[in-house]
Amino acid sequence: MARRAVPLVLLATGLALGLASVAVGRAHPGWWFAGESDAASALALLAGLGLIAAGVAAWQRHPASRFGPLLGMVGVAWFLPEWNNPEIGSPLAFSAGSAFVAACPPLVAHAALAYPGGRLRSPVERVVVGLAYVACLGLVGVLSVALFDPVAEGCAQCPQNLLLVSAHGDLAHDLQRAGLQLGPLWAALVLAFAARRVAGGSVAERRLILPVLIPAGAYLVAVAWSFQHSAGRGFLGNDSLDQFLWAAQAVTLCLLAGGASWEWVRNRRTRSALAALVVDLETSPGPGGLRAALAERLGDPSLDLLHELSNGRLIDAAGLGRTPNPAQQLTPLVSEGRTLAVAAHRPGLFDDVGLGQELASAARLALDNDRLQAELRAQLEDLRASRARIVEAGDAERRRLERDLHDGAQQRLVALGLSIGLAIAQQGGRDPGLERAQLELRELLAELRELAHGIYPVALAEEGLGAAVEVLVEQSRVALRLERPLPEERLDPQVESAAYLVIREMVRDERRSWSSVDARREGDRLVLEVAGDGGVPDEFVLLEDRVGAVGGGLELGAAAQGVTRLRLELPCG
Amino acid sequence: MRVAIADDEVLMREGLSRLLAEAGLEVVATAGDPKELIRRVGLTRPDVAIVDIKMPPTHTDEGLVAAQQLRDLHPDLGILVLSHYLDSRYAMRLLDDLPDGAGYLLKERVSDVAVLVDALGRVHEGECVVDPTIVSRLMSRRQDTGPLAELTPREREVLALMAEGYTNQTIRERLFLSSKTVEAHVRQIFLKLDLREAPEQHHRVSAVLAFLRDAQG
Repeated sequence: MARRAVPLVLLATGLALGLASVAVGRAHPGWWFAGESDAASALALLAGLGLIAAGVAAWQRHPASRFGPLLGMVGVAWFLPEWNNPEIGSPLAFSAGSAFVAACPPLVAHAALAYPGGRLRSPVERVVVGLAYVACLGLVGVLSVALFDPVAEGCAQCPQNLLLVSAHGDLAHDLQRAGLQLGPLWAALVLAFAARRVAGGSVAERRLILPVLIPAGAYLVAVAWSFQHSAGRGFLGNDSLDQFLWAAQAVTLCLLAGGASWEWVRNRRTRSALAALVVDLETSPGPGGLRAALAERLGDPSLDLLHELSNGRLIDAAGLGRTPNPAQQLTPLVSEGRTLAVAAHRPGLFDDVGLGQELASAARLALDNDRLQAELRAQLEDLRASRARIVEAGDAERRRLERDLHDGAQQRLVALGLSIGLAIAQQGGRDPGLERAQLELRELLAELRELAHGIYPVALAEEGLGAAVEVLVEQSRVALRLERPLPEERLDPQVESAAYLVIREMVRDERRSWSSVDARREGDRLVLEVAGDGGVPDEFVLLEDRVGAVGGGLELGAAAQGVTRLRLELPCG
Repeated sequence: MRVAIADDEVLMREGLSRLLAEAGLEVVATAGDPKELIRRVGLTRPDVAIVDIKMPPTHTDEGLVAAQQLRDLHPDLGILVLSHYLDSRYAMRLLDDLPDGAGYLLKERVSDVAVLVDALGRVHEGECVVDPTIVSRLMSRRQDTGPLAELTPREREVLALMAEGYTNQTIRERLFLSSKTVEAHVRQIFLKLDLREAPEQHHRVSAVLAFLRDAQG
């Protein structure tokens, strides 16, 4: 209840203040910028009330941001100068009106630079905004009023100045003039800061801040002009240029109220988009479909739907690890205390309090589904990667073993054979023991060579698939026909060895009388059609594993007339 | 016979030198890499060079490259390549590059001084030498079908010796046949295998080897 009551009370108070202020002005039109014009009066009322309403609404939406209260205070401050009316009759109202006669401009500067977070971004900005407050509230307002006795200065009908400390009319005029003269200076600085923010902001940020910064800037230009004009005269006046500039301020403040509400309008549209999205989700989207639907409905093509794994890694719907774009903002979508997903989106998209929560509860099922699928895919991907690593490690180990046998054992046996040969030659005579040793050594070497080759063919490592298959053909009893030459270029070692092993399994089976290989590249895939008479290779499942580990596929074609056909697809990007 | 030896393993170089010296050959140069080999051969002008196929820097086929370069520089130099590759691809490459006075032996042959000396002698004479193990491996597959199956056992023997690089003359001596019989066998073999008879000895080796390699059962 209280949450609803407070804004209503504030709005009612603002309305009362506005109506009272306009009533004061209209009762004494000679002192009022609007004069006798109904339209100008309505404009003044609209500007102040609009700002108060926009401020209250912004405060409701973002309670943590000071922007809403600041905007509301701009609206109040807009009404206060009317109370400076000499014929108002009330000393309290007259004194307050005099003190806050120029309170509106520094508040606008403050609010504009603090939009939308509610805080100024740098010490320099704070100094400039502080200067504006000092000049307008201090010099033009409180200090001048404290030294100014209106009755003594010849304003017979003026009420008593309750803030008067000591009457120093000339000093009061000087202080007020100085405060007015400072106007163009700080206004220019504020405009420069605003321009820098626009220039440095992203497209999304600009879309957010320009509706506020443009009217605020225009307002400050009008204020600076008016101050310049009044400084020449020494006090705030009411000639025709003053009236024109006042009207310009009223219009720009109306626009400012509208600009500040624009964010709300956009969020409303986002919300209705959300409603439409929930309808869309009735037909459950495929993987990534939820992201696409959200991106379209919320009008942010860059929007990404990510899921956090228990190890802190972020993945997308396809299960792939993702690092969010630093230009994007991350919003956890939480429903009932559970984070369903993390949305990466353009800054400000979810600024509206509760939008993320609404989305989370509206699309909970779909988000849950998206997350489960993503996790599943991530696990599959992890599994595939670990399979690939195991195969790779196995291959590396076999390669090392082959090299050890070859460069170590084999070389030493050859050297040993040489020594034996030398001993035989030196002995001259026949030593049957040596001769036998030599024979056995030769057999040992032959066996060792076959063993090493079986562990890992050197040609595969050194020259690739084509050479390895050539060697394979030479040592096998099963004829192998190449329908076309194997690819000459080197491929990924894992891919080469997977293709090699499939061909070897077909050729190794001596129950066959023939086999054939048709290899070709199809885009970034290497496709091998391997055929032969006789049955499916015994190690088919192992081959499947091996091929799957490198992200390829091995399919068994329809057997016809005793011919086995394998179709092998491997990535070769 | 004056011999140069190139092998990147010191043990191998030294052992081989001593073995060949024992057999009465004169080792005039040893080298550990192709560059040094070419320089030393230029200085000492040996009759034959024994070249290890694996040498620095990549330890793959430097020996074959060096053989080609040596032949370009010294057309009369016989070259015997020692290899650990059992398949016939490198042997074919050597014979294609150097159709005569070149040999390709498996490395473990170094322990059999008689085979080694015989091979060096044949290479020096301008003949070709192909390791018997390589030939027998090629011949042993798919005997039961295709053109090879039509050969008689004796013809197969002759074919193997042809593939190992032997001339009709040596085949005759080894198999105790008359030269006419050998010639008849050779003709028969070429007919049955549907090979055009190569007039020259060295082309014959390549042709036979190529046939054996490509033979589809």
